[in-house]
Amino acid sequence: MSRKKALKGKGGSKSPKASPSSGRTGKGLAAAAAPSSGLVYPSRPSISNSGEFYDIAFKVMLVGDSGVGKTCLLVRFKDGAFLAGSFISTVGIDFRNKVMTIDAVKVKLQIWDTAGQERFRSVTHAYYRDAHALLLLYDVTNKGSYDNIRAWLTEIHEYAQQDVVVMLLGNKADSTHDRVVKREEGEKLAKEFGVPFMETSAKSGLNVELAFTAVAKELKHRTMKEPDEPKFQLQEYVDKEMRTVGCCRS
Amino acid sequence: MEKKSQSLSPRDGRAKERVDRVDPYGFERSEDFDYDSYEELMSEYLAVLTRRAIKWSKLMKGKSKVQKNLKLKRYVRKGIPNEHRALIWMAASGAQDQLEKNPGYYRSLLGAQHDPKLVETICTDLNRTFPDNIQFRKTSSPCLQKALHNVLLAYGHHNPSVGYCQGMNFIAGYLLIITKDEEKSFWLMDALLGRILPDYYSPAMLGLKTDQEVLGELVKVKIPAVWQAMVEHNVTWTLVASRWFICLYIDVLPVETVLRIWDCLFYEGSKILFRVALTLIHHNQALIRQARSLPDVCQAFKQITHGPFVDECHTFMQKIFTEPGSLSRATLTKQRATCRSRIIAEES
Repeated sequence: MSRKKALKGKGGSKSPKASPSSGRTGKGLAAAAAPSSGLVYPSRPSISNSGEFYDIAFKVMLVGDSGVGKTCLLVRFKDGAFLAGSFISTVGIDFRNKVMTIDAVKVKLQIWDTAGQERFRSVTHAYYRDAHALLLLYDVTNKGSYDNIRAWLTEIHEYAQQDVVVMLLGNKADSTHDRVVKREEGEKLAKEFGVPFMETSAKSGLNVELAFTAVAKELKHRTMKEPDEPKFQLQEYVDKEMRTVGCCRS
Repeated sequence: MEKKSQSLSPRDGRAKERVDRVDPYGFERSEDFDYDSYEELMSEYLAVLTRRAIKWSKLMKGKSKVQKNLKLKRYVRKGIPNEHRALIWMAASGAQDQLEKNPGYYRSLLGAQHDPKLVETICTDLNRTFPDNIQFRKTSSPCLQKALHNVLLAYGHHNPSVGYCQGMNFIAGYLLIITKDEEKSFWLMDALLGRILPDYYSPAMLGLKTDQEVLGELVKVKIPAVWQAMVEHNVTWTLVASRWFICLYIDVLPVETVLRIWDCLFYEGSKILFRVALTLIHHNQALIRQARSLPDVCQAFKQITHGPFVDECHTFMQKIFTEPGSLSRATLTKQRATCRSRIIAEES
């Protein structure tokens, strides 16, 4: 009778709370992260609601047209799984947490997944404002989703913070036969807007970890950089670490 | 779930051998499905279903039409047996009248030229509608996926100002599972979107934004501690309740509970959606108040849609009419008007 779903992060609200933002700093949805600097830097480690300790937390948002694979990308990153034909369309807005270790620092990413259909943007764009990073996805097998990237970037500029980290991802890169958007086209668009770019595949796992790691590294460097430490070069890092389809460089 | 002393089934840990892997609606049970609790629950619920089925068959005997009256309303609140569900939904919502007044209309919509953009948008969601339901598999016969495509396409052309909005796929899917008929599903969609619900699905989604705010206002009065917690942690009602309204509790609450809610939705209107929301929140206010951050609050709001309280649909449906206290149509109308103007003012 009841169709039970795995209750992710069960017991979350029963776990001991060590909210990093107990001294809440005003505007917006600044729960896991303070608003302006984007830094949550508690004097002692905090516990995320999955019970994991972390040092700093950031809010990352997945955006892009309906069906480009936002939820799949998130599930691949979070659980390392891709179950073809098991995903349902995302309605509204939802998030999942993942703690990663970046240069010995525990970084919690609070990753927000949004409905891609245009009309939902008027419900979800209020949440861009507090995002520290936006992963903007298109589907390499869907020209329309690529063409809409410009509109998405306009929307992002209008609603997101000035210094938000934006990364462009061409997803479903494993679909060689159905591909209609060339890699070079993605690179060109990214260059035009000055954002880092890579192709990903939630199905094969290609560059999924890297996309989130790169963003986490950038955000961590921004907030914890020593005065004499050089600025983190996100694009360089991505270019060095990125794998391309059919290539076995690791 | 608590063990009930008067349970009819033996709790011997072998329920998994006795219970089907697929529920009566075609949904595959999840890996972590609790067969023992389910069997225990069903052993009690079956008695209710049998009792109701006898009453309904007496009521329906020799009738092909039904009149809305207090007795029927009471019957509907106690649950419509599956065999009568489609008929009562059709009659109570006015969908049957529309179907009879417009013979051939549904077919003509399907036969007309299609907007390619609409087709594409709908197709994106076909494989993402109930992949865990065997009736929606491409290999199943009849395949509800094709029927889903048709109903959504016809509705999109019938009501071009709405077209297709995500969430409608799940609603049409449920209607097809229950009615097993495209045309009836189409007219029930028309009843829901055109008359029963506010404008949840139109491009501006004003009805949705309004009802989220209305829920906030009702919680503020009825369950102030929860309202306080929401304010304290900066949680908007969009974050916790948009899916509740858009999907009419599909994939939020258990299937049987959703159908029981829909029985009342078709008969009594959209007020029922607030009764459900208020009951969930009221019953779990202690849990929500324990939350110490925005993610905690969101997590709590997910947690309250699972567990015995919502699984036991018969008791749950009794609770929704008592637990939240009075909720008059006038209050709702007034709140909707106030919230709506506020949103329009803020957006302009």
